Amino acid sequence: MELSDWELVQRCQEGDAAAFQGLVARYYRKVFMVVLGILNHREDAMEVAQEAFFRAYRNIKGFKGGSAFYTWLYRIAVNLSIDFQRRQKRTPTEFRETMDELIDKREGAEFAKDPYVDFQGKELEQRLFAAINELTPDHKAVIVMRAIEGLSYKDIGRILGCSEGTVMSRLHYARKKLQEKLGPYL
Amino acid sequence: MKTDCKTVKNSLGAWLDGELSASETERIRMHVEGCPSCSGEKEQWERLQVSLRGVLEGEASGVAFEPFWDGVSRRIFAERPWYARLWDWAGLAFVPQRLAWAIPLVIVALLAMFSLDQFFAGWHWGSNRGNGSAVDSIDGHGFNVAVFRESKTKTTVIWLFENQEDEDESSGEPASAESSF
Repeated sequence: MELSDWELVQRCQEGDAAAFQGLVARYYRKVFMVVLGILNHREDAMEVAQEAFFRAYRNIKGFKGGSAFYTWLYRIAVNLSIDFQRRQKRTPTEFRETMDELIDKREGAEFAKDPYVDFQGKELEQRLFAAINELTPDHKAVIVMRAIEGLSYKDIGRILGCSEGTVMSRLHYARKKLQEKLGPYL
Repeated sequence: MKTDCKTVKNSLGAWLDGELSASETERIRMHVEGCPSCSGEKEQWERLQVSLRGVLEGEASGVAFEPFWDGVSRRIFAERPWYARLWDWAGLAFVPQRLAWAIPLVIVALLAMFSLDQFFAGWHWGSNRGNGSAVDSIDGHGFNVAVFRESKTKTTVIWLFENQEDEDESSGEPASAESSF
């Protein structure tokens, strides 16, 4: 029988490293996606996601189960990502190179066989990353968490430390901005 | 009540996210179904959501667990200063469930500490150490003697005569012999 998050957390608190490995296996992809959505840089996202799990491990004794484990974990990951991005603001050229590399690596693997559809897909992907990169970290965080995990406004508010109303208005603003940038491609 | 397009477009995201009340949800749904402009915008927002998730999921699917976990465990077990490692160890060791061993350990340690003078001659514990006042019970020249070492330069000696007659017979020395200190 699969253990719940809380049961794994309790085992971690008792010093069971294997239980923590179980939590990492359960959430590493989602955390990576959230961080990548905010940072738009694969290597940085990998580093920050790993650091987020390390911080979670170090502070797991302080987690009392008042909220879901994943909201606590995402809070660590999002705060680290936002701090990281504020410290290492990339230039637009650096950003474009990174995204082109990232998309080229996946060429042929994800898109349809039709070259026209393939081209359109890549074009949308590149523009999507570029449009997201123009948002502030707070706006990126809300749109990414909603898109990936389908988190409720309440949970997103808990993670970011803001009200549901703020989440709603940030999401609306971010979507409008993306729609403006990507209109012809959607 | 007739709902205008501007109001609907402002609530479109919350509606798609299922964050509106039942009555508002129904009002927006009815408007969107009958309005090509709002319906088109709704489809755009849905495609945006799907594209974003698709792009990020595509990236994440290429991340294998083993290298990711290696990175995390390297951080956990990285060479850190001894005090940081001690702190980490203490953090994991001193949880209530693990403190059961501590009580017998403390008892054994205390017993060992107070028994050391049985095994090592001259070992003193507690108030016998240092320059403070102290009492020694020794057998000097066949007498029981109590020695008070008040400081490095001041010592008071008291002869204890428990069995005066036996002592006199066996030693042949006077009870009031002068201290050799």
